Amino acid sequence: MDAVLQCTGLRRAFGELKAVDDVSFEVGAGETYGLLGPNGAGKTTAISMVAGLLATDGGEILVAGEVMTPRASAAKRHVGLVPQELAIYPDLTARENLDFFARLYGMDKGGRANRIDRVLEVIGLADRAGDRAGEYSGGMKRRLNIGIGLLHEPRLLILDEPTVGVDPQSRNSILASVEDLATDGISVLYTTHYMEEAERLCDRIGVIDRGRLVAEGTRRELVSRIGEQDVVRMKVVGDASAAAAACESVEGVGSSDAEGDEVVCLMDAAAGRLPALLAAVGTSGASVAGVQVREPDLEDVFLHLTGNALRD
Amino acid sequence: MFAAALTILRKDAKLRLRDRSVWVFAFVVPLALTYVFSLVFTGQDEFRFTAGVVDLDGGPVAEGFTDGVVPALVEEGLAEVTAFGDEVAARRAIEEEEIGAAWVIPEGFSEQIDAGEGGELTVLVNPDRSLTGQVALGVADGFATRIDRAGLAVAVVIAAAGEVDGDGAGAGAGGGAGAGAGGEADADAGADADAGAGAGAGDEADADAGADADAAAGAGAGADGGEHLGDLDPAILAEVAQRAAEAGPLISVDELAAADRQLDGTTYLAAGMAVFFLFFTVTFGVTGYLEERQQGTLPRLLAAPIGISAVHLGKALGAFALGLVSMTVLAVASATVLDATWGPVGGVAVLVVAAVIAALGVMALVGSFANTAEQAGNLQSVVALVLGLAGGVFFPMGAGLLGQLALVSPHGWFLRGLGDLAGDPAWTSALPAAGALLVFGLVTAVPGLLRMQRGVR
Ligand SMILES: Nc1ncnc2c1ncn2[C@@H]1O[C@H](COP(=O)(O)OP(=O)(O)OP(=O)(O)O)[C@@H](O)[C@H]1O
Ligand SMILES: [Mg+2]
Repeated sequence: MDAVLQCTGLRRAFGELKAVDDVSFEVGAGETYGLLGPNGAGKTTAISMVAGLLATDGGEILVAGEVMTPRASAAKRHVGLVPQELAIYPDLTARENLDFFARLYGMDKGGRANRIDRVLEVIGLADRAGDRAGEYSGGMKRRLNIGIGLLHEPRLLILDEPTVGVDPQSRNSILASVEDLATDGISVLYTTHYMEEAERLCDRIGVIDRGRLVAEGTRRELVSRIGEQDVVRMKVVGDASAAAAACESVEGVGSSDAEGDEVVCLMDAAAGRLPALLAAVGTSGASVAGVQVREPDLEDVFLHLTGNALRD
Repeated sequence: MFAAALTILRKDAKLRLRDRSVWVFAFVVPLALTYVFSLVFTGQDEFRFTAGVVDLDGGPVAEGFTDGVVPALVEEGLAEVTAFGDEVAARRAIEEEEIGAAWVIPEGFSEQIDAGEGGELTVLVNPDRSLTGQVALGVADGFATRIDRAGLAVAVVIAAAGEVDGDGAGAGAGGGAGAGAGGEADADAGADADAGAGAGAGDEADADAGADADAAAGAGAGADGGEHLGDLDPAILAEVAQRAAEAGPLISVDELAAADRQLDGTTYLAAGMAVFFLFFTVTFGVTGYLEERQQGTLPRLLAAPIGISAVHLGKALGAFALGLVSMTVLAVASATVLDATWGPVGGVAVLVVAAVIAALGVMALVGSFANTAEQAGNLQSVVALVLGLAGGVFFPMGAGLLGQLALVSPHGWFLRGLGDLAGDPAWTSALPAAGALLVFGLVTAVPGLLRMQRGVR
C-alpha cells in the first residue's frame, strides 16, 4: 500500500510518564484514520510527533516517504495541522490569517491569492473574510482553524479533536467537511474521544489508551473482537463493582465491568440468561434498576480491551 | 529562515498596530511620566545653580577664590555667580530665591590665614535647596582643602540663610556643622546628591576636617599648620592663593556630571524613563513565542516548514525594531517638547542600539524562566523595575556604593554613557558604556535563547 504516513515504534515520555509507548500505525492515501482514546491517552502527543512539533524518544515517522523530525522542512510541507486548541490570530481577519500561514509555507503571491479564495469557499467564510477572526462565532473560528490546515494542500491533514467544545450544529458541519476531504482524496489523521465520530468518519480506527495502541482495524473488525456477544447494561442500586464481580460467574458472560452505577456485561445469548444475571446482582446485595440489551459498539470494545470506559 | 522571520515580524507589526497597550507602554507612558517629573523637578535643584559671593576681605586669599575659583565655575557653565556687597544682601537674595547659596569671605580672612590663626569661609545655604547647598559647600571645601594642603587652615562654615544673625549664635551653630566639612555637613543637608560633593572633596577634606574645625573653634591657636606660618612671607601666601585658584574648583564639573549623572534634570529624566520603558517594550517581542503558545498558534508555527529559530528571530527582530522606534521617538519628542538634550546623534545612536540589545538579552533570559506569557510579564516587570532602580532611572545613585550598583544595571550604563557624551561629544566616548551594554546583551541572550529552544521541545 502506498502509505502517506508510516509510524513505527513511536515513543515519547514526559519524565516518568510514558505518554506514547511503542505505537505503530499507517495511514494510506485517501484514508481517514482515527485515533480513539480517552483524555490523556496520548493522542495529542502522538500527533505532535507526527506533525514535527515534538521530538520522539524513539521510533520513526515517514510522511510521504520523508522522515519527520522537528527540523524536517520537507516532510512538514506534506502535513497540515489543525491543533486541538484554536490556532488563529483573533486580531487578524480570516484572509490575513490565511495569508500569514500561506507565506510561512512559502507560497508565491499569485498562488496564494487563488488558494486563499478557494479555502475561504470551502470553509464557507468567503463573505466574512474581511472581518476579524475574534468576532466570529465559535463554529466559524473552528472552520477557519481547519481552513488554515488545508491551505497548502497537504497530503496528510491532522485534526486533533476538532469538535471539542463545539455546538451540535457546528459539529455536524465540521464532520461533513472532513467527509468531503476524504472524498477529495486527502489522507486524514483524526483524533477523538467520541466513538460516534470515529465510527462515522474513519475508515480505520486505532484504539489508544495510556500511550499504547491496544487495537486497530475497521469498525467492523474491532467490534468483531468482542465476538457475536451482546452487551447487557444494568443500572444497579448498591455496589456496582461487587455486582459486576458476581455477574462474572453467570454462564456465557465473557466480561463484566462496573462503569459508574452501571454493570456492563458482554455475553453470549443474553436473552435467555437475563434472569440468571439479575439473580447474580441480587446475591451481591445490589438491586437492578434498569436493563438494556444491545449489539456492541466501539465504546464496548474499548471497555472490553482496557477495562475502562472511554468517557468518565 | 530569514524570509519566514520577516513574515512573522510583519504579522506581529500588524497585530501591534491593532493593540493599543504596546503603544501606550512604548510611547505614551514614558513621555507622560517624563513630562510630569520634569514639572515636579523644574524649579528645584538643577545642576546649573546660582550662587552669590560676598568678599568682605579683599585680600590675596579671598581673591584666589573670587578671581580663581568662581570664574572657573562660571566658565564651566556650572554656575551663575553674583557678587554682593554684604552678607545681609546675600541672605536676602537667598530668601527671595534669586540665588541658591552664597559664599561669605569674612573681613580679615587673608590676614588671619597669613597669621596662622586659620580662616573661616561661610557658606550660606537655603535649606530647601539642598543640592545647590551641597555644591556650594563642595566648592568651598575644595578651596579650603587646597589651602590646607599648603599648611594653612581654613574652616568651612555652613549656615542656613533663613536664620537671622550670621555672627552670633548662627556662626556658632554653623561652626559645628562646618567641623564635619565634607562628611557631616553633607549628611546634615541630607541630599541624595551628597555623593557628588563627597566624591570630589569629601575624601580628602575629611582628613583635614578636624584641623579645620580646630582652627575655627580655637581661633587659630591649635591649628597644626599655625606654628610655622606665623612669619609666612606674603609672597608665598600670594602664590599659595594663586595656586589654589588656578587649579579651579576641586570638584570638577566632569567629576560631578559623570559621577552623578546630572546631565540636566530633564534629559536625565527623559533618558531614564525611555530606557526604563524600553525594557518593558521589548518584552512584547522577546516572549512572543509564549504569547503564541498561549494563543494556541505556536503548534502551527512549529508545524510549518520554518524551524523554531525563525520564530525566535522574527520575534527578536520585532522587539528590536519596536525598541529602536520607541527610544528614537522618545528622544526626539523629549528633545522637542521638553527641551531635553540627549547629546550628539552619533553617540546617542550607538548607545541606543546597544541598550536595545541589552534589553533584548536580559528580557529573553528572564522570559525563558517562564512558561506562560503572563508569568514572563511578571518576572520581566520585576527585573526591569529592579534594574531600573539600581541604574538610577528615577533618581541618580551618586558615586558611592549605590553608584557602584548602577554598574550592574544596563540602565545605569546607558545613563552613564549619555553622561560621558555630555562630557565629550565624540561618539567614541559612548563606547565604554555601549560595550558594557553589549556585554549585558550577549551574556544574557545566549543562555536565554538556549533555554527558550529547549522550552519549545
Ligand atoms: N508537555 C508535557 N509535559 C508533561 N506531560 C505531558 C505533556 N504533554 C502531555 N503530557 C502528558 O502526557 C499524557 C498524554 O497527553 P496527551 O495530551 O497526549 O493526551 P490526549 O490523548 O491528547 O488527551 P486529551 O483527549 O485530553 O486531549 C497526559 O498524561 C499528559 O498529562
Ligand atoms: Mg489532546
